[in-house]
Amino acid sequence: MTTAATDTSLAELIKARCPGAVTGAAEFRGETTLTTTPENLHRLLSTLKTDPDLGFNYLADIAGADYPGRSKRFEVNYQVSSIPANRSVRVKVSVGEDEPLPTATNVWKTANWHEREIFDLFGVRFSGHPDLRRILCPDFWTGHPLRKDFPLDGEEVAFTHNQDSIKPQEAIWKKGLGKAEYALEQGAADVGEETTMVINMGPQHPSTHGVLRLVLQVDGETVLRTIPHIGYLHTGIEKTAENLTWQQAVVVTDRMDYLSPPTNNLAYALAVEKLMGIEVPERAQDIRVLIAELTRLASHLIALGTHAMEIGAMSVFFYCWRDRELILDIMDFLSGVRMMTSFINIGGVRADLPDGFHKKVQDFLDVFPASVDEYDGLLTNNRIWEKRTLGISVITPEEALDYGLSGPNIRGSGIKWDLRKDRPYLTYPKYSFDVPVGKTGDVYDRYLVRLEEMRQSREICVQALKQISPRGEFRTADRKISPPPKEELERNMEALIHHFLLYTRGFQPPEGEVYSAIESARGELGIYLVSDGSNKPYRMHVRAPSFVSLQILPALCEGGLVADVIAAIGSLDPVMGEVDR
Amino acid sequence: MNVTLDQLVGHGIILTSVEDVLQWGRKSAIWPMIFGLACCAIEMMGMVAPRFDVARFGAEVFRGTPRQSDLIIIAGRLSVKMAPVLRRLYEQMPEPKWVLAMGACASCGGVFNNYAIVQGADKVVPVDIYVPGCPPSPDAVIFGLMELQKKIQAQRPLSQPVA
Repeated sequence: MTTAATDTSLAELIKARCPGAVTGAAEFRGETTLTTTPENLHRLLSTLKTDPDLGFNYLADIAGADYPGRSKRFEVNYQVSSIPANRSVRVKVSVGEDEPLPTATNVWKTANWHEREIFDLFGVRFSGHPDLRRILCPDFWTGHPLRKDFPLDGEEVAFTHNQDSIKPQEAIWKKGLGKAEYALEQGAADVGEETTMVINMGPQHPSTHGVLRLVLQVDGETVLRTIPHIGYLHTGIEKTAENLTWQQAVVVTDRMDYLSPPTNNLAYALAVEKLMGIEVPERAQDIRVLIAELTRLASHLIALGTHAMEIGAMSVFFYCWRDRELILDIMDFLSGVRMMTSFINIGGVRADLPDGFHKKVQDFLDVFPASVDEYDGLLTNNRIWEKRTLGISVITPEEALDYGLSGPNIRGSGIKWDLRKDRPYLTYPKYSFDVPVGKTGDVYDRYLVRLEEMRQSREICVQALKQISPRGEFRTADRKISPPPKEELERNMEALIHHFLLYTRGFQPPEGEVYSAIESARGELGIYLVSDGSNKPYRMHVRAPSFVSLQILPALCEGGLVADVIAAIGSLDPVMGEVDR
Repeated sequence: MNVTLDQLVGHGIILTSVEDVLQWGRKSAIWPMIFGLACCAIEMMGMVAPRFDVARFGAEVFRGTPRQSDLIIIAGRLSVKMAPVLRRLYEQMPEPKWVLAMGACASCGGVFNNYAIVQGADKVVPVDIYVPGCPPSPDAVIFGLMELQKKIQAQRPLSQPVA
């Protein structure tokens, strides 16, 4: 992590390299925020990327926010990183309702979907954007849901006293019936040529990892063009979180990346802790590492199982699920729930480890290496598997950076970028593990990276399990954040008051904004939080790794065969819950 | 043919109604559609996987097309954007067809009481069985499936309703 002192000099350097563009610089919790104006935005972003001394080659995220009271109500935040120098900076620009912002798509390709998302949810326009359409909300939608004056909506909960007076939710979905919303031609209007045809794939399709929809223009078996349509699982998680207290919002984060729910909890908890400046006991951090790595295993098992099944290796799916059930058993034993545990919480973890936990995890870790070897044996030198994956959907390192890929997808292209190593959080520096990277960046390499990551994750689990004592601290002792134990409640009036306040009102972090990212099973899972000092997040934005990585799909499929589309989707490992949020 | 009814039964012959046999066949070979929306879809896959093995109940033949399926398991939250698609898929299924709403979101919107989610899939398609849970464990879904089997067995498609 870069220190505050170097960051100040970084701000000075940027000011010198791009004179007149930076109107202000601020520091909060070790993050540098530079303010600029819409006129200077494009010049500043280009300089950040192209200046050899700056070299900010990676756009991690663009987050919007709405402040209705201000003269320029919207704020757009660009989270820019330099991978070689391992530093990052936030560029903030305020923009009015009818004022367009210059697009950043010609600086980083990854800006495309981020800008569409901000256009869709806030109504900020980007001039020069190649394809500024709605992305998450349907075409028949009106309004911009993340604006503060847009109601949360939904339906009132029915009790005996109000059940007759409840106004049912407006049936907006009926507007979509029979519309062009899912007609084949949509987005592929300039088909023209007689030899080509347009195929609609999804949103209900066995191999699209959920409700992804692709419109493919094909010439025989060759794919000429791919247009992804997302948003079929848009859940309004960000808006819902902004209407819950800081602690309650943990529960909705579970449902984003549903292949690895505890990692979402972890990302959110770390962001809130960074915002509040809380220290979590070391044992709790070790427990979090263990859970995060077990979750990574569970997630990679599904990624591998479904990927192999879609390519035709059905038995791998069954083997992977056999092992995943063992991990779900551990989660069940730990928290009482198989998937949506919400076990990682602000200030630590929710409860202490149950008796016999160590043995249960150890039993799993003992049998797991043989399982990985089994998948290895089934697939790695399998000639059919090689034919389907070798040299397919190659991502070059330059493309990977341009599209903002992260996790196994960027490492498959040979870029050694793992937030656990490069921007360490929790107690990861204590553990020794390797970061596997690929050579060519094809489907096969991404498969090998995931396979090796499973072995490395198991190593971390083994080390973490030895560190964790069966009993001890599992959350911070700060009573303003974590509830007092039951024994204290019975004897101590002050504890009772803390308990009451915590569960009725929650806590109030200081005003400010943070961006905190972790390495989830899919890559950089970032949470951008804005606090206005109240007991609810003013803005919660999620930088979802699958959302970003899915953008590269059209480039991967072009010129390939229809069957390779399936291989490409599987190798990117998207989770639609996280893509659409 | 001087054989009494008792003698027939004694030789392994069962007397039943055509309807009973028909419905017994239908309930024992349910073909669900591959239709995963969100988190619940993962537990639905878990139901097919080795430990829970829904093949024991004759419902393991998941079909990729609605035209070959007779059960749609709505596994997850139904967004406003997805609802017209679900309606169209349901209409594409041949009769007889059944719908199982899996989990809190498909049943009533769950924790997502907001602008993006339809508050219960039953506003879009008629639902036969609701399975609670967030997500329901695979055994809970299998229980829902068995309840559906009871419901199918009790249906009388050939009988004319008495006015």
